[in-house]
Amino acid sequence: MNIALVTGGSRGIGRACAIKLAQMGYYIVINYRSNAAEAESTLEAVKAAGSDGELLPFDVANKESVETAISKWQEAHPGEYISVLVNNAGIRHDNMLMWMTDDEWSSVIDTTLYGFMYVTRALLKDMLVKKFGRIINMSSLSGLKGLPGQTNYSAAKSGIIGATKALAQEVARKNVTVNAICPGFIATDMTKDLDEAELKKQIPANRFGTPEEVAAVVGFLATKEAAYVTGQAISVNGGLYT
Amino acid sequence: MERSEIIKNINSCLAEEFEKDETTFSADGNLYDVLEIDSLDLVDIIVLIEKKFGIKTAKEDFADVKTFNNLYDFLENRINK
Repeated sequence: MNIALVTGGSRGIGRACAIKLAQMGYYIVINYRSNAAEAESTLEAVKAAGSDGELLPFDVANKESVETAISKWQEAHPGEYISVLVNNAGIRHDNMLMWMTDDEWSSVIDTTLYGFMYVTRALLKDMLVKKFGRIINMSSLSGLKGLPGQTNYSAAKSGIIGATKALAQEVARKNVTVNAICPGFIATDMTKDLDEAELKKQIPANRFGTPEEVAAVVGFLATKEAAYVTGQAISVNGGLYT
Repeated sequence: MERSEIIKNINSCLAEEFEKDETTFSADGNLYDVLEIDSLDLVDIIVLIEKKFGIKTAKEDFADVKTFNNLYDFLENRINK
């Protein structure tokens, strides 16, 4: 059985990734932190896509929470391993740096960077031993070019690109690829407070993207055919120059 | 388990895992050079030892393991303790 874990899989891009991988035949482990009802909706969508899955709640930024949840999952599934990991969980707490609180800074950094590290570290051993793995990290346009009001988010997402490139080189010879995706403005709950009419004037495609358009790239990176694509930060942004 | 049996078993496993000729293994040979491995490959050796001998090891256990002989000593101690 091919198994994929999508962190932050209850809504938005995470849900679209779960559905895409389900359409490709993957059994989907859907991680979420607090929104069980939305995570259940993702699981229903996974089943409707012709596959199956389960919910695995934990806070990616909490080491003990991650390690306990994943080791229990591994004990419950002897002989199985998660071969595709989509590190999608992320939060935004925008503020001008002048007014940014310590918590706004650290919560965004912790969820993105510690989240990536804790979850990836817990799953990497099996990928290395099995000599196949696909790690796909959700970065952002904000991590490539920086966006005002998002020094915390830009720092975190930029850090993910650096971590992606470093880890990709560590594990490439074990047939484990590591890539980042940098979505631009994507129509999700996370961007619903943005002025789409104004922002789309900057986007060559003249619209926000959809979660499914991001998930399509995740789907490609998860394939065996994508074996020679690693250490890359791939933009999905409607032509915004970065 | 006799030391000779441990050596026979681990050499056979290492040769298969890392696609090497067992005749190139010598007691004083450097494990990393002969097998052409680095610290990342320890994960394979840890799993291999667990499967073959049923003992759990960690990366830290291999801090002083440089040669084949070091590995044989380590396994002999752990298996027979």
